[in-house]
Amino acid sequence: MNPMIRKELRQRMRERRGWVLPSLYLLVLSGAVAFAYFFKTQDLFGFGELNEPQGAEVGVTIFLVSAYAQLTLLLLLAPVFSAGGLTIEKEQRTLAALLTSLLTSAQIWWGKFIASLLFLGLLLVSALPVLSLAFALGGVGWRELILVSVCTLVMLASMCAVGLYCSSYFRRSVHSTAVSYAVVIALTVLTFVATTLMSWYWQQEAGPGGTEEEMPDYVAAPLYLNPYVMLFSVFVRSGDDYPFWAISLKLFLAIACLAAALAMRNLERSGEQV
Amino acid sequence: MIEIEELRKSYNGQRALDGFSLRVEEGELFGLVGPNGAGKTTLIKILATLLPADGGRARVAGYDVAAAPRAVKPLIGYLPDVPGLYQDMRVSEFLEFFADAFRLPRLRKRAVVERALEGSGLSERRAAFVETLSLGLKQRLLLAKTLLHEPRVLLLDEPATGLDPLARIELREHLKALNRDGVTIFISSHILSDLEDICSRVALIANGRNAADVKGRTVLTLQEAVPPRVICEIEVAGEAEGAARLAGEFAGARLLEHAGNRLRVEIAGGPEQAAALLRHLVGSGVAVVRFDSRGPGLEERYREAFGGPRP
Repeated sequence: MNPMIRKELRQRMRERRGWVLPSLYLLVLSGAVAFAYFFKTQDLFGFGELNEPQGAEVGVTIFLVSAYAQLTLLLLLAPVFSAGGLTIEKEQRTLAALLTSLLTSAQIWWGKFIASLLFLGLLLVSALPVLSLAFALGGVGWRELILVSVCTLVMLASMCAVGLYCSSYFRRSVHSTAVSYAVVIALTVLTFVATTLMSWYWQQEAGPGGTEEEMPDYVAAPLYLNPYVMLFSVFVRSGDDYPFWAISLKLFLAIACLAAALAMRNLERSGEQV
Repeated sequence: MIEIEELRKSYNGQRALDGFSLRVEEGELFGLVGPNGAGKTTLIKILATLLPADGGRARVAGYDVAAAPRAVKPLIGYLPDVPGLYQDMRVSEFLEFFADAFRLPRLRKRAVVERALEGSGLSERRAAFVETLSLGLKQRLLLAKTLLHEPRVLLLDEPATGLDPLARIELREHLKALNRDGVTIFISSHILSDLEDICSRVALIANGRNAADVKGRTVLTLQEAVPPRVICEIEVAGEAEGAARLAGEFAGARLLEHAGNRLRVEIAGGPEQAAALLRHLVGSGVAVVRFDSRGPGLEERYREAFGGPRP
């Protein structure tokens, strides 16, 4: 076993956040599910009498809300676990000892990456019973559960790789974490804003006759990098050979690979930072 | 064991090393001295395979550090100027981690860690968290970690920084013992008395280049059997004006410093010449309170090389 992984996991589980964060995470997720259930079945805000909802509708609502809540929480936590991975070694002056040992840059990176991802994976797995609650009500199958879990995991892997890249580039955890969060915001918010603006601009150019089908592909292209849109696309059965989520997955994997390669290159050149 | 030829390194156009050359023989305990920013840390980082040089060549045990870092790493033990520790690990876990990082086989790892714990006197504290150790014990742990894989060459950058006098003495003795066991040690330090005590030779570095003393020597040989010069520190009762004049007139003597009732005189020759000076002063009626003579120390030679009154 890569000694970096063993060291990282041991250190992670000794931190207070090793048990505080999973507890808080499950608490928030359970709250979101309870809210979704009562929102769908009760007239919480006094909007008037609700139609009697089908069990499957309730199931889908619970699943969607818990999947989105989970994604939001994990996207917020990914930089916390990854962006300090290498900067902490620089800050506590231990990186020189690692780089002059027989550990390769790839092993150091891999140890940090796996430790970050395993912890986020632990959160993901611990939430599976919450997501599976929807099974009792119907409307959601194994396909959705597996696809949502895989998409979320790949997205987290990508974010961890980006966080570690930032961590290899900057000297201080605070800078690395800030830039990692900026990347998360860019993917979740800016991609949506960019598509909305391009769509509006295209509508202006095309005039009133322009229909959505005629809209060029590049207008919606930024949404391939939007984690929420990717997750939503899992529920849309389009019949395409390459569904939306599959293209998104490939893009996120490409980002992860690029970030990993750049981080390892930075690690090899980080002698000035130690 | 260490060969450095015309080594060059710049940071953003700023020259840190500018053609530095040096040769350290196997089994030597070799010192490197120079002012702040002279390029000592950069040089050691290049030797430790952490930094690539812009030009020139550096070899350890015949391996080029730039071309064959994987061959160099098992041979060297590197201790940086501000070394770090994993404060949240236990002492034994810390050593085991680095034993794994140096790919020691499982059976050998256990024995090596045990030996390191015993050698550093940390056996009793093996289960303690690193953060609870004193600075001296942390330094022992760091040195134990650096020696885990039995390196043939130790690269130490200011290893005594922050240590109390006892810990410094302990470190010096430890390094001497390692050197006796055949480990080549290359050490940079600001604490000249430490280097003087343990090193056989010392190289001078300034502005990234080899610096030289007044006689043009870039490498100083310490602990010479018969010092060619003696430095006398003299303290007299009352003002030392007369004593300074007398000392200045003494054959082969040169007045280095004179303040209040103290003077420092350099005199050509060995201890006999110092004794002759003392007799001359006392015979001339000077009330000598203290007379201390020794060979020209590294401090004097450092002053000669770098010109400053206080190194």
